[in-house]
Amino acid sequence: MRTIVCMLVAVAALTAGYPQAAHGQVRAKAAVTCVSAGQVLEYDCTIRLANARSGEPLSGLTVSVGADMPSMPGMHNVRAVKATEQAEKGAYKVRLELEMHGDWAVQIDLRGAVRDRVISMLRFEEADVTDVKPSSGRRGH
Amino acid sequence: MLDLQGIAKHFGGVHAVDGVDLTVKRGEILGLIGPNGSGKSTIVNLVSGLFPLTSGRILFEGDDISDLPSHARVGLGIARTFQNIRLFGQLSVWQNLWVAQNSRQQRQEVFFKRWFGGSAGVQAEIERTLEFFDLAHKRHELAANLSFGEQRRLEFARAISARPNLLLLDEPAAGMNAEEVDQLDARIRKMRDDGFTVLLIEHHVELVMSVADRIAVLNFGRKIAEGPPAAVQDDAAVREAYLGTR
Amino acid sequence: MDDYLVSVLSNIGVISFVALSAYLLLLTGEISFGQQAFFAIGAYAAGMATAMWGWPLALGIAWGAAVGAACAVSLGIPTLRLRGLQFSIATLAFAEMVRILFELFRYQVDIDGEPVGPNGTDGFRSIRYIFDHNIETFDFMMLIYTMLAVTLAGFMLLERSRLGVIFRMIGEDATLASLQGIAVARYKVLAAGIAGALAAVGGGLYAHLTTYVEPRTFDVMLGVHSLAYGLIGGLGTALGPLLGVVIDVGLLESVRLFAGYRMIIFGGLVALLLIFRPRGLLDERLVNRIGRLFRNAISGSTRTGRGSR
Ligand SMILES: Nc1ncnc2c1ncn2[C@@H]1O[C@H](COP(=O)(O)OP(=O)(O)OP(=O)(O)O)[C@@H](O)[C@H]1O
Ligand SMILES: [Cu+2]
Ligand SMILES: [Mg+2]
Repeated sequence: MRTIVCMLVAVAALTAGYPQAAHGQVRAKAAVTCVSAGQVLEYDCTIRLANARSGEPLSGLTVSVGADMPSMPGMHNVRAVKATEQAEKGAYKVRLELEMHGDWAVQIDLRGAVRDRVISMLRFEEADVTDVKPSSGRRGH
Repeated sequence: MLDLQGIAKHFGGVHAVDGVDLTVKRGEILGLIGPNGSGKSTIVNLVSGLFPLTSGRILFEGDDISDLPSHARVGLGIARTFQNIRLFGQLSVWQNLWVAQNSRQQRQEVFFKRWFGGSAGVQAEIERTLEFFDLAHKRHELAANLSFGEQRRLEFARAISARPNLLLLDEPAAGMNAEEVDQLDARIRKMRDDGFTVLLIEHHVELVMSVADRIAVLNFGRKIAEGPPAAVQDDAAVREAYLGTR
Repeated sequence: MDDYLVSVLSNIGVISFVALSAYLLLLTGEISFGQQAFFAIGAYAAGMATAMWGWPLALGIAWGAAVGAACAVSLGIPTLRLRGLQFSIATLAFAEMVRILFELFRYQVDIDGEPVGPNGTDGFRSIRYIFDHNIETFDFMMLIYTMLAVTLAGFMLLERSRLGVIFRMIGEDATLASLQGIAVARYKVLAAGIAGALAAVGGGLYAHLTTYVEPRTFDVMLGVHSLAYGLIGGLGTALGPLLGVVIDVGLLESVRLFAGYRMIIFGGLVALLLIFRPRGLLDERLVNRIGRLFRNAISGSTRTGRGSR
């Protein structure tokens, strides 16, 4: 009993200083399309960013793109690369170098006027890249 | 103190122990001898609770302990050694003795002392045991790195550390040279003087004859003789069993 | 600090928790292929707490750890009776069952006009605590390492304590341990509970680090790796499994040459070590030898100090 009280006090102490949530922030959504860049395991991706609520394109952001394999948490560390903004509003381009074929979670980190992370689940294969459908089985490991 | 009432243990068709009655009285050293495979170690295993009885009862200080798990029997004060040395090789000599020291006096220790390093009393006790068994200079060594003789001594020391009411020694002299056997003899005598009760299993006939108060003889899982050393030595059935003319 | 380095170090830190979880069970002699289940439980529980119920992060992670420990204890009570391989298979079966349950688990609430929560095979997206609270990735990494440091300090204390000695005794020879008066079953359940909590803390941190998890994140792959980390790095000290993680995630990964063959090299490394150094690089003997060198150095210097006076 005394231990439980101690634990509760400790948790309360730990949580006392937690930062307050900033609500009403802009959230982003992304549409990602990738094609093979000719080299094995290299892909050119176009990312179209928009405000998740209004659908308005998000331009002028610093966008860096990394990738992680959901089936191997934390064990692949693809170096995040900066995406370059395109003439088209809200569009960014990036070249990804992956470590193996299979399903990757493409992590799009936004900085600037909007700070957010958008995840896009894609299946990278030799020739083409497709969206991962939940029902389409597992690939990669 | 220990009362075995018709205990039996069958491994499939092997009747390792087959209806043995045996009593160990408080303060005595009872020698248990018998040819190879006669069931001596099995009796020790049964008393320490390593496997269940096929039939019979084990009484300790008048209570039936036949169904107690082995750790609870240790709590009552039954400690043992093994015929083939069994130590925690990856732990130091000191650690081997520390946890064995879990008898009554340690339960009274305050929480912190009990879990971290032991109280001064417990530490002093371990030091005394280390001295008594001539292991003090090896206290930080891993048990696996000790020589054979040192390992035997450590096993003995560990059994004593529990301050047992009853000590079961399964062939403590196995593999020892004459000098080491003499030391062992002296230590067992010292223990009797300190009031320990001992069940001593031994092939080394000289040793048993010299330290035991009484001797029981086992053959094919049955007790064939019991009595003072001199009487047992002259027993016809015992001679037959040892000479193998059956 | 470089973003890449921050992300690699954060990953190493998070994976270390599962590695330590498997290590604790290895100490008590249990080979569990199922610690990823508690990682998953911690990830979902902590994620739900912060993203859906609006709890603060520390409370969410503590909650995840509590749920992980509770599940581990209730799994441990029936399964720890099983010996060796049977136990390993039971843990594996449990972990797969948990993964499949998460594939079926749908529970979403509406947050800012967007559905948030576990959504079957699609996983659990938008665990956006660190974005909602403007926590920099560097700061989150520091949080991971603070918690890891606390955990390691706990392990160092454990190794010096009677409890640590008891765990090792049970691991080496459970029968002999029971003959020292140790209630083996109880201590095993305790170890399983702590291990479950550790893996769950790792999961909670992971969920907030990546902002999303999905059932296949908790595939047996993760369990096998976390087990291997202790076996590679060594079972003599809690630094062993951390060394294992650093070797895999840090070293093998950074050598690009191995890309694609990494699994094969990793497997080969484990096999070689199991043959030549069955208790890992930092095994008990090495740790004991280092400890004695240390002691000798200290007593040596005090002796010469006294002599010169
Ligand atoms: N765990 C077991 N499973 C099967 N058979 C066993 C087991 N333990 C002992 N036995 C058998 O029981 C019989 C008695 O063995 P036990 O070890 O008790 O003899 P012992 O008198 O101690 O012999 P020794 O002098 O060689 O030590 C032997 O035939 C042995 O093979
Ligand atoms: Cu992979
Ligand atoms: Mg024997």
